[in-house]
Amino acid sequence: MKKLKMIKELPLIIILVLISIVITIINPSFLTVENFLDLLKSNLVLTMMAMGMLLVILTGGIDVSVASMITAVTVIIGNSLIHFSQNILVTVLLATLCGVILGLINGLLITGLKIPPIVATLGTMSMILGIVLYVTNGNWITGIPQNFIDFGRIMILPKTLADGRVIGIPIQIIFLLPIIILTWFVLKHTVIGRGIYALGGNLESADRMGFKTNRIIVFVYAFEGFIIGLSAVAHTSIMRQVDPNAFLGFEMQVIAAVVLGGASVLGGYGSVLGTIIGVALFSVINNGMILMRIPTFWQKIVVGLIIISSISADMIQKQREEHLKVRVDVDEVASYEA
Amino acid sequence: MSASLLEISNISKFFPGVKALQNVGFSVDKGEIHALIGENGAGKSTLIKILSGVYQPEEGGKITMEGEDLGVLDPLISLNKGIVVIYQDFSLFPNLSVLENITLGSYVEQNRKLVNYKEMRKIANEMLRQLAIDNIDLDESLGDLSVARQQLVAIARALANDAKLLILDEPTSSLSSSEVEKLFEIMHSLKERGISMIFISHKLDEVYRISDRLSILRDGRYIGTYKADELNEQELIAKMVGREIIYTIYPKRKLTEPLLEVKKFSKQGNYKDINFTLHKGEVLGITGLVGAGRTEVVKSVFGLNPQDEGVLLLDGQEVAIKNPSEAMRNGIAFIPENRLTEGLVLRKSTQENLTLTLLEELSGRLGLLNPKKSDKVAASWIEKLDIRPSNPHLFTAKLSGGNQQRVVIAKWLATNPKILIVDEPTNGIDVGAKAEIHRLLRQLAETGLGIIVVSSELPEILAVCDRVVVMKRGRVTAQLFCEGLSQEDIMSRAI
Repeated sequence: MKKLKMIKELPLIIILVLISIVITIINPSFLTVENFLDLLKSNLVLTMMAMGMLLVILTGGIDVSVASMITAVTVIIGNSLIHFSQNILVTVLLATLCGVILGLINGLLITGLKIPPIVATLGTMSMILGIVLYVTNGNWITGIPQNFIDFGRIMILPKTLADGRVIGIPIQIIFLLPIIILTWFVLKHTVIGRGIYALGGNLESADRMGFKTNRIIVFVYAFEGFIIGLSAVAHTSIMRQVDPNAFLGFEMQVIAAVVLGGASVLGGYGSVLGTIIGVALFSVINNGMILMRIPTFWQKIVVGLIIISSISADMIQKQREEHLKVRVDVDEVASYEA
Repeated sequence: MSASLLEISNISKFFPGVKALQNVGFSVDKGEIHALIGENGAGKSTLIKILSGVYQPEEGGKITMEGEDLGVLDPLISLNKGIVVIYQDFSLFPNLSVLENITLGSYVEQNRKLVNYKEMRKIANEMLRQLAIDNIDLDESLGDLSVARQQLVAIARALANDAKLLILDEPTSSLSSSEVEKLFEIMHSLKERGISMIFISHKLDEVYRISDRLSILRDGRYIGTYKADELNEQELIAKMVGREIIYTIYPKRKLTEPLLEVKKFSKQGNYKDINFTLHKGEVLGITGLVGAGRTEVVKSVFGLNPQDEGVLLLDGQEVAIKNPSEAMRNGIAFIPENRLTEGLVLRKSTQENLTLTLLEELSGRLGLLNPKKSDKVAASWIEKLDIRPSNPHLFTAKLSGGNQQRVVIAKWLATNPKILIVDEPTNGIDVGAKAEIHRLLRQLAETGLGIIVVSSELPEILAVCDRVVVMKRGRVTAQLFCEGLSQEDIMSRAI
């Protein structure tokens, strides 16, 4: 029992299970292997991106340019696949390189020019989207080479259903799993990862302790860019074409999933496990709303509600702590003379 | 005492307009507890920040440790050399476990890349054992610990960092007396192991109990180092406060009828049983060390920090003030710290700044400003306070510092207060501008305004105030007439 209490994510897991039960009662097709594999495939990119966003949010920052970044990288690799190289490894390298460069730009703007993360990433978002629009004219990129499409269709442990359809674990899991493990390892077992928590908890103290906090922050945005690069490859291999508008508003979903997973936007609190559960919760809520035939505009409203309520909870908690701080140690026995 | 561990010489640090430290030099012996004493703003914090590598001293300063010239320090080098500061806020991480708080620093210091939790646990356990601390769970989140326990964690961290010189900044300020005892025990055991400590405290009884020698700073200058048994409390205070009075001392006025009476003000964790009276045309000083509760009291008077108990009388009538707008309606104006220098929109004209607090009164039915009225109001204040140049349309950025402050004060006076409260009105500005503000405050008092000046600077209090209320740890310890008063008289009641 004591061991169970140590798992901070337990309340989230309980909520996840409860919601799943409710949805299953309303629509039994929720609790099927098929639906779960669907959920995995459709939320794979979201999970990867959430890992990157988790790091950023742990530092107390936020990145609203993630959707534009993944759009840009998909456009780049889409063109590269058609005009330059069909090699998957080359594509992966190009995608991650582009992602890292975009991430570095954000990181350097934030640390070098001291621009607040939300402002810096809003700026880069707008610029990236502008360039993407200029390059694509808003048109889809089709004609992705067959070998890449075939790669994207590979299933691990395929199984043929009674009605002839084949289901299995999507190949894109080879991007997802390493990213989850890598993020977990960086956060849990490297000094830089603990530094991310430290500076998120108390930036000044982290400086005083000798952490090179600016370098850590730049690393975080670059690492996030790396993940976005891989996410772009995973996404393109799933969709088999590039839609420059596919990620409209996606940053909100990523942020919502991360804060739903217990990360504090004030920095310092959050975990890989929590974030995975956050994504699961988020996707189950979304999926459930679809299965329950709730109109799609509600999803956007729910995303907003999730973000605002999670952040308010953090803020209220913080104000309460501030309030409890004693400012003056009042002397109980003091002399007085007039 | 054996050989010296740390020697600093010729350390200076200048900030724009302020000389925070000038040619400071002293030494700390091995295994010595060395107290560093000085008033607020004497330069203690600046010196700590230089030793910890946060600030770089001016050219010519030298810091040597065990005979080795340390050269240019940064936080990491400083830690590497074994100089560890325990700041008042401890600089710990509330979101990390006790385990990591103790050991992470040494990982950073050794520039290691990976974390080994097993090894961390071993080190942390060893540190706690050395400090004879047995009631702290390593896996607990630091934020859940009491202040006293957090401090122990900070000390354990310093040990893990292989500290040779431990700098403790006001370590007892938030501890109960039994916790202080425990801390002193630990300090003694560290001393026996040859670790030197610089101990910064305002509590002289503690300084005398624990330290071997003490060094005194005043106005950023080094006054001297004395053995603790060589110097008694009175002598020490005299050396601390002997700041030169370079200001004009204004003639003191006789008390007239009471304007504002604070009766039995108490607020949990802020202050207790505060009583004082402000008279018409009086400048009343409130002084005390940082953390004595001065600002908290005046904020309560202004409705920013409502008191738990106590009443406020204005002209003999009880008034209830729960927020600033009620305070302003009752004729109380409050200029917070730094507002005199930062309370201007520099890229707007004198007139626009002056009318900022009056926008409602100056606007017509549609909420549009009435330019004629604004012109008139601005002109009248420019004349009353002699603001130069008198052109109301000049950007205030073009005005001299003294005139800018007049604009700020005029802005608040335009709300027509009977009582003006200023918190640290001259913090961080040069002497000429300070004298200007003093003159202005006295001028205003002549018109019958009651003025409360909260200030840590004793010469300023003596120069400008008629009476002074001295506070210490949330209590009023004395109310004194400034006529013929010395800085020692005040400090001996504040410390």
